[in-house]
Amino acid sequence: MMRSWKSLRGAMIALGCALGLTAALAAPAHAQKKYKIFLSLSYSGNAWQSEAANIVKALAATPPYDKMVDLREVISGTDVQAQISAYQSMIDAGAQGIISFPVSPTGLNRIIKRGCAKGVLFFMYDATVTEPCAYNVSYITAGFGENTAQALVNELGGKGKIFLSRGVPGNSVDKRHTDGAMSIFKKYPGIKIVAEYYGMWSDQTTQSETAKALAAHPDVDGIWAQAGEDGAIKALLATGQKKLIPVTGENSNGFRLALANPDYQARGLKGVSSGSPPATAGYAFKLMMEKLTGKRDLKVHNIQYPLPWVPASAVKLCTSDKFENGCNTFPEGKVPDSFVTEVFQPTLLPELSLVTAQEGKPTPGATIQPLPAEVVAAPDTPGINCSHCNPPANLYPLTKVQPTVQP
Amino acid sequence: MSGLDTARIATSPDERRTRRPRIGSDAWTVIGLFAVTIVMILASRLISPSFGSWDQARAILVLTSFVMVIAFGQQSVILLGGLDLSVGSMMTLGGILTFSWIGGSGSALIWGIPAVLLVTGLVGAVNGLGVTFFRVPPFIMTLAMGIIIYSVALGITGGTPSGQAVPALGWLFSHRLFGIPWVILLMALFAVLGTIFQQATPFGRRLYAIGTSPEAAAIAGMPVRRIVILTYAISGAAAGLAGILMVGYSGGATLTMGDSYLLPSIAAVVIGGTSIVGGRGLYAGAIAGAFLLTTLSTVISSIGIAQGWRTIIYGLVILVALVLLREELSLWFLRLRSRGGR
Repeated sequence: MMRSWKSLRGAMIALGCALGLTAALAAPAHAQKKYKIFLSLSYSGNAWQSEAANIVKALAATPPYDKMVDLREVISGTDVQAQISAYQSMIDAGAQGIISFPVSPTGLNRIIKRGCAKGVLFFMYDATVTEPCAYNVSYITAGFGENTAQALVNELGGKGKIFLSRGVPGNSVDKRHTDGAMSIFKKYPGIKIVAEYYGMWSDQTTQSETAKALAAHPDVDGIWAQAGEDGAIKALLATGQKKLIPVTGENSNGFRLALANPDYQARGLKGVSSGSPPATAGYAFKLMMEKLTGKRDLKVHNIQYPLPWVPASAVKLCTSDKFENGCNTFPEGKVPDSFVTEVFQPTLLPELSLVTAQEGKPTPGATIQPLPAEVVAAPDTPGINCSHCNPPANLYPLTKVQPTVQP
Repeated sequence: MSGLDTARIATSPDERRTRRPRIGSDAWTVIGLFAVTIVMILASRLISPSFGSWDQARAILVLTSFVMVIAFGQQSVILLGGLDLSVGSMMTLGGILTFSWIGGSGSALIWGIPAVLLVTGLVGAVNGLGVTFFRVPPFIMTLAMGIIIYSVALGITGGTPSGQAVPALGWLFSHRLFGIPWVILLMALFAVLGTIFQQATPFGRRLYAIGTSPEAAAIAGMPVRRIVILTYAISGAAAGLAGILMVGYSGGATLTMGDSYLLPSIAAVVIGGTSIVGGRGLYAGAIAGAFLLTTLSTVISSIGIAQGWRTIIYGLVILVALVLLREELSLWFLRLRSRGGR
């Protein structure tokens, strides 16, 4: 609780979107030579969102960007209308760049187009928009659903009862993940989905929903989960059964620690940790800055961020706050279980450390390093990153894992 | 006993005459709800053979505990004719404070839990102050308070609550006495104490009197404002307690942990036969309502149908339960009983 005045200011900003907007927009214009950039968060309230935002804030404060960037943060909630008016206010306030987590893939298109016409750069991280003038930087198209589904099928030997622990109903990301997973599960008649529920990408909701499903199906053989998987593990442990089952999920620290726990492994826990990395926001920000400063001519608008892939055998504890020796998990007690571990990316984001993700402060001594020249283009995916486009013949190719069992 | 007396004075002679059968019908609502719940558990065997088992019952009991605790505060407020829309945020506040203040230290529980309950109780009392002294309608006051609590929590934590979950709280859920998790035993005690508080203490009886007619209660010399403020404080503390329990259950705290408990807390109270305009209802009814809701969502979540249909079924069953249990069924039970008496 011994946080500085900054957190108090944070509280003030959070008091309401309108209030926050006014505060952000009315800040003194002393920094005229600086690039005026807005960070538009849909919503803060879970570990992922605040880590992603912190990484952007930390990079904007890392030399030489600290003298070049005037970054202002606006949290507008999960409502599309609120984000539209937030974008509008930013454009009116003379934004040069807007880096944002968009709440809808299509609902923001019109205002983005208007902003692009005024020369504003739009960079979306993690979630995407279908407006072609915006840049999408995301892992979504990298195949989380199909790869984790295949990994689960492999662990189960091609047959068994499973749960699908999904995200938020009606959300395009949840749909993309589930469609990818179903493209695999459908091939295996031995795989039976006995319960499908929405964990809302929250550990608590996933835990209680998994507990309910376990009450009905204690004989389940595996769980395919989106974010919130740590809750699925906790629900399994709470049944008091000795036997554990394979679980695939996203990148919470608690899940990775569980995967690497020798006791749990002996009881049958297997699986892989993959999914949404908060570090994407940092990559999007650096791309935007390179574009803004004229260092990069970015032709590709849909840029794919590499999909994290950490099976139990690859879990490696970080002994310090920095990235070293390929570490990807923090020791118990260092961060909460719900902390999303994918905050390091040594090639793209060597400037990051734990403090950047947790507090939004720059790593001491770090300076911004140029990005590799190449970017990976994401495949066209209708409704995700384009509206009138043809998807590739195989939208769900396996990239991380190969089938070890035939259907 | 003066509370009991004033409560009696506050009710009109006409109401006094009808009091016995009225409480009777409330009690039948409770019994009816429990019966429906048990029938639902047994009928769900058709869906899954592992339903109806002790494992399932145990899972339902554990999941009910959060709603049950919040519903106590919510019901007390509703008995007064008020409404507390801040319970979701208050639960989050309780969870975050538990997470950051108590941390991983078991010895900090001794001061930590009372401190968390005190803070949430005080914030709840502010709700009561707004409702009584500033005459803000309860739902505006508590809605605003809920937003303010959430925002302050967001600002102070920066989005991610930091801290640790104390193992002793998790122990409540993981350890058992004769196969019953400790948290269920604790909830049984809570139910008994809650019922005694409402039915057998002057304070509890005054809730009914004020809910029936605040003016009459004031004329009868009851400290209406003080009771209203205290009741909102109790609601705040109850939600805070639910937050503490949630940290034990999930081993973590997030800024949205209480969100999904606001509507069930109101639904459980109303399904349980408490009048939304106040003055009538039993805590046992709210508990039964909480059971029904949790059982229903457990059963529904195991049916392999699309989410939209699940929500529709959920809504329909609640509606049917409300219509049937509140009037016709309880009357039917009463008629049956009086016939048996003759």
